[in-house]
Amino acid sequence: MDELALLQNYLIVGALLFGIGLVGFVSRRNMIVMFLSAEMMLQGVSVSLVAWGRYHNDWGGQMLVILILTVAACEAAIALAVVLSLFHQSGSLDIAIWQHLREDNQPEFIEREVLEPLAPEHQWPKLAPSGIEPEPDLEEIAHRSHV
Amino acid sequence: MNEALPSVAVATVLLALGLWMMLPRGTTTWRGVGALTTLAALCIFAWLSSHLDPSEEAWLGDAVFFTLAGVTVIAAVCTVTFSNPGYSAIWFGLSLLGTAGLFLFQGAQFLGVATIVVYAGAILVTFLFVLMLAQPKGESAYDRLSWGAGLAALSGAVVVGILVLSILGIFQNPDVASRPRAPFELPELKTEILADQHVAHLGAQLFSKYLVAVEVAGTLLLVALVGAVAIAERIKKPDRGGQSHG
Repeated sequence: MDELALLQNYLIVGALLFGIGLVGFVSRRNMIVMFLSAEMMLQGVSVSLVAWGRYHNDWGGQMLVILILTVAACEAAIALAVVLSLFHQSGSLDIAIWQHLREDNQPEFIEREVLEPLAPEHQWPKLAPSGIEPEPDLEEIAHRSHV
Repeated sequence: MNEALPSVAVATVLLALGLWMMLPRGTTTWRGVGALTTLAALCIFAWLSSHLDPSEEAWLGDAVFFTLAGVTVIAAVCTVTFSNPGYSAIWFGLSLLGTAGLFLFQGAQFLGVATIVVYAGAILVTFLFVLMLAQPKGESAYDRLSWGAGLAALSGAVVVGILVLSILGIFQNPDVASRPRAPFELPELKTEILADQHVAHLGAQLFSKYLVAVEVAGTLLLVALVGAVAIAERIKKPDRGGQSHG
C-alpha cells in the first residue's frame, strides 16, 4: 500500500461511516441513538481529514479533528441536557412525540404498526412476606447516610 | 465514463437492501439475510479500494488496515441497526476503538488516544448515563420501529455510492494516476507528520499557528457548559417534601 492508496482507502472508510450514520440519524426514533449516529457522521469526516493531512504532510487536518472533538463534546453536553428536559416533559425518548414542531407543509407521521412493549424475559419468583416485621433499629437509622 | 460504475452501483443497491432489512421494522425482519447482504456490499467496497499484493512486503500493513476498517464499519452498521439502544451504544464504542486504531495507523498518535479518552471515555459514558436514567425497562415499542426505513437506507446508500464513485474518479484521473507512486512513509513525512516527537510537534503547531482556533474552542466549551447547566436546571424535579429548584 503506497501513500495514494492509503488516502483512497481512508476516504472510502470515511464515506461509509458518514453514510451509515446518515441512515441511522434519519430512520431511528430513539433520541439517544440519533445522537450516536450524528457522532458517527463526525467520525467519518475526521477519518477523511486525518488522511488528507497525512497526504499533504500538513498539520491542518489533525487540528481540525481536534476542533471536531471539542465541538462533539459541547454538542453532547447540550444535547443530553435537552434530551433529559424533553424526557421529563414527555416521559419517553421517542422523537415522534415532538413532531408538532415540524414545518406547516409537512405531512403528519402516523404510526401504521403499533407494537406492544416486550415482556421481560425472566419472571423471578417473589416470596410472600410472612412472620412478624422486625422492630426498626433506631441506631442504624440514625447513622444511615442520607442522599 | 467511470469504469468502476457498475460495481459501485451493485454495492450501493446491496447496501441499501441490507440496511433496510437490518433496520428494526417491527415484527417483520430478516436480520440474517440483511447482515449477509450488507456484508457482501462491504466486501465489494473493500475490493474496490484494495491494493492487496501478496508479493509486496507491505502485506502486513494491508492486513492491519483492512482489519481495523472492517471492525469500524461493521460496528457502525450494528450501532445503527440494533433495536436496544444500550447495545447500540456499546457497538458505537467498538466503532470508536476501530477509528482510534485507524488514526494510530496513520501516525496520528495524539488523536488516536484522544478519541478513546474523550469519545469512548467521556461522551459515550454520558450517553449511557442518560440511557439508564431515561430508558424504560426492556425494548420499548418505538425502538423496534424506524420511520421510513426503506427510504432512509436508500438515501444513505446513494450518498455512499456517489462519494465512493467520486473518490475513485479522482484517483483514476490521469493527472493524479500518472504521478510517481509515493512509497509508504515518505522521507519528508518524517520531518512533519511522522516525526519522532509527534505530540511535541503537534503542540508546537497548535499553540503557534492555530492559537486563535484554540481560544475559540475554549470559549465554545465555556458557552456550552453555561448553556447545558442553564437548560438542565430548568428540569422540574419530582416533589420531595417541598425541595424545589427553579
